[in-house]
Amino acid sequence: MRGRPGRAEALAGILLSLPAGLSYLLLLLMPTLAAVLLAFTDYELGAPTIAWIGLGNFEELLEDPGFRVSLRNTLVYVGIVAPVSIAGALGLALLIESAARGRTLFRAVFFLPVVSLPVAMATAWQYLLHPTIGPVNAFLRDIGLSGPAWLTSSDTVLLSLAFIGIWEAIGFNLVLFMAGLTAIPRELHHAAEVDGVPSAWERFRLVTWPLLGPTTLFVVTITLIRAVRTFDSVAVLTQGGPNRASEVLLYTMYTEGFTFFRLGYSAAITLVFLVIVLALMLLQTRVLDRRVHYG
Amino acid sequence: MTTLSRRAALALPAALAAPAIPRAQGSVEITVHYAQPHIFKASYDAIIEAFARREPSIRVSTITSPNYEEGAQLILRQAATNQLPDLTYQGFNRLRIFTERRLALDLAPYLAREGAAENGYTPAILGLAAAGGIQAGLAYAASNPITYWNADLARRAGQDPERFPTRWEEVFAWARAVRERAEADGFYLNVGGDDWMFQALVFGHGGRMMNADETDIAFDGPEGLAALTLLDRMVKEGGMPNLGVQGSQQAFVAGRLGATMRSTAVLRNIIGAVGRNFALRTSAMPVIDAERGRLPTGGAAGMITARDETKREAAWRFLRFSTSAEGTAIMVINTGYVPMNQIAIDDDRHLGAFYRENPLFLAAVRQLPISVPWYAFPGPNGVRITQAIVNHQQRIIEQRATPAEALRDMAAEVRRMLPRRA
Repeated sequence: MRGRPGRAEALAGILLSLPAGLSYLLLLLMPTLAAVLLAFTDYELGAPTIAWIGLGNFEELLEDPGFRVSLRNTLVYVGIVAPVSIAGALGLALLIESAARGRTLFRAVFFLPVVSLPVAMATAWQYLLHPTIGPVNAFLRDIGLSGPAWLTSSDTVLLSLAFIGIWEAIGFNLVLFMAGLTAIPRELHHAAEVDGVPSAWERFRLVTWPLLGPTTLFVVTITLIRAVRTFDSVAVLTQGGPNRASEVLLYTMYTEGFTFFRLGYSAAITLVFLVIVLALMLLQTRVLDRRVHYG
Repeated sequence: MTTLSRRAALALPAALAAPAIPRAQGSVEITVHYAQPHIFKASYDAIIEAFARREPSIRVSTITSPNYEEGAQLILRQAATNQLPDLTYQGFNRLRIFTERRLALDLAPYLAREGAAENGYTPAILGLAAAGGIQAGLAYAASNPITYWNADLARRAGQDPERFPTRWEEVFAWARAVRERAEADGFYLNVGGDDWMFQALVFGHGGRMMNADETDIAFDGPEGLAALTLLDRMVKEGGMPNLGVQGSQQAFVAGRLGATMRSTAVLRNIIGAVGRNFALRTSAMPVIDAERGRLPTGGAAGMITARDETKREAAWRFLRFSTSAEGTAIMVINTGYVPMNQIAIDDDRHLGAFYRENPLFLAAVRQLPISVPWYAFPGPNGVRITQAIVNHQQRIIEQRATPAEALRDMAAEVRRMLPRRA
C-alpha cells in the first residue's frame, strides 16, 4: 500500500520527462548517430547507391592537403582568438569593475557585438576592411602607411578574421568575468590588505584569480568551442579563400557536403569536429575541474 | 452471371483509363523551381502571367533557391525523397550532375515532334543545355563576361570616354593612365568563385578544358599556359589589385576602379548601384585571339524532372513558352541576360526597341557569335575541380607562383579528381 504513491510518482516523473527525452533522442542523438554512420560510407547527395567503405573517408582525410590546411587554419584561429579574448576580457572586466562610474555603459558597449547579427556585422567589416574604399586603409593612408588587402590577401586574411572573432567573443567573456567578480566577497580583499598585501597585483594573484577559477574554466571551455566552430564570418566574407588561406573546419565540412555533394566525406569531417569538441569537454571535466578552487 | 466476358475484361482497363482523358484536358498543376529570385523573379512572374492567358488549364506554382548551388542541392535532396518539382531551371554547368544521376528528361523527342529551328532553337542555343549525351534542357537565359567601365575616370585619365581598348596590351596602358592621372585603380578581372573566367581565358586563346573524348585534361597545354601568363601580366603590367569578387564590385560602383570584367548578369544591379555617380559604359571583353577566341556562357536552362506523363507534357509547354521568342523577350527586359531564342534576336519586333533605348545591354549580345557552352567536368568531383582551379589561379593574382608552376599543380590536382577510366 505504501509503495503505490511512490510508483505513481515515478510514473508521473517518467511521463513528464518523456517529451524532453524523446526530442533529445529524435533531434540530437539519432541525427548524430546517422552522421557517424554516414562517415563510413561513400554517400553523395542524390546518388542512387550507397556503399560501406569503412575507414576510407578517414584515409582520404589524412592525405587531403585541403583538410590539413583547414585543420591548421582552425588551430591558428583558435590559438589567436581564445587567449586574446580571454585575457582581454579579464583585463577589461577588472578595469570596469574598479571604475568609479560608467560600469553599465562600458559593459553595454563591449557586449553589443554579442547581440548583433553576425552576418550583418560581417558586411560592416567588409566595408571597414575594404582595400581601397574602406575607412581602415583610408586612415592608414593618412598617416603614411599603405594597408594590405585585409580580406583578400592570404597573409592577412586569417588575422583579420581572428580580429573579428576576438571582437565578437570579448564582450561575452567580459560579462561572464564581471559576474564572477561580483561574486567575490569584498571582505577578502580588505582582509588581504590588512594582512599586509599592499600591491594590487599581489591581491589579484592571491585572492581574485583563485576565486575566479570556476568562471575562468567555463570561459576557457566555451571560448575554445565557439572558436573551433566559427563559420559565419568565413562564409560571408571570404568563402575560405584566397587559395584556402581562411578555410576552417566547419567551412570545409559545409563545402564538401553541400557544394561538392560528398555527404559521406563531410560526415567524416563532422566526426573529427565532434571528437575535438568532446576532447575539450573532457579536458574541462576531468583535468581542469580538479585544479579549480571553489572557495 | 458473374463471369467476366473476354470483351468486358478488355474494356475494363479502357474504362479505368477513360477518366484520364478529361483529366488531361482539365486542369493540371505543375511546380516550377528556379534559383536567384533576386535576379529572376520579375521575369518568371511576368512569364507565368502571360502563360496563364495562353494555357489557362495549366496552373503553375513556383519554388525558389537563393543561388544555383542551393538550387542543385534542393533537386538532389528532393530526388532522394521523391518530391521533385516538375520543371527546374539550373545553371548550365550543373546540368551534368543531373544527367549523371538520371534525373533529367531527354527533350530530343519533344523537339523532333515540334521542330527546333523554326521555333528559334538553333544548334548553338541547344548546345548550351546539352549534357551527358542528351538534350538535358532548354536554355532560358545566358550571360557572358563583358567589360564595365567608368567613362568619367577615362576622361580624367586623358583617355577616350567613348571607346574602351579592345586588346589587353591597350587595356594595360589604359589602366596605367587611370592609376597615374585619375588616382583610382585600373581594372579588375573578376576571377570569381568558379572556373568561368579561367575558361574565358583558355577559350580566348582557342584552347579547351578536356580533350574530345574526355579521357584527359587539355588545359595544361600552350593555351592554358598562355591563359595563366596573361593573368600574370594583368597583375604585373596591368597593376590589377587583389580586390576579390565583392570588393571589386564595391570599388567599381564607388568610382574607385576604372573597369571591371565580369558577367553581364549583374548589369541591372550595377546600373542600380552606380545611379548617377558616374557615366557607366559597357563593351566587349578585350580580345585575345580574334580567330580562335571563344567565351563561355553562363546562365540557366529549364530541365524537366516530372515523372508523370501528363505533368511532363504540361512542364514541356511551360518550358517551351518560357524559351519562345515571346518568353525570351519578357526575360531580357526583366533581367539583362542575353536572349536564347534566335527569333527573338533576329526579329526586331521583340527586342529592337529595348536595345535601342538600353545600349548597355548590347555588349553581351554582340558577343553571342563567339559564345560556347560553359564546360562541366565529368564525374562526382566536378564542382570540386572548379574550386581547385580557382585556388591555383589565386596564387598568380597574389604572385606566389609562376604561371608554369600554378598550371602544373592545377593540372595534377584536377587529374587526380577525374573519374578513372577502365
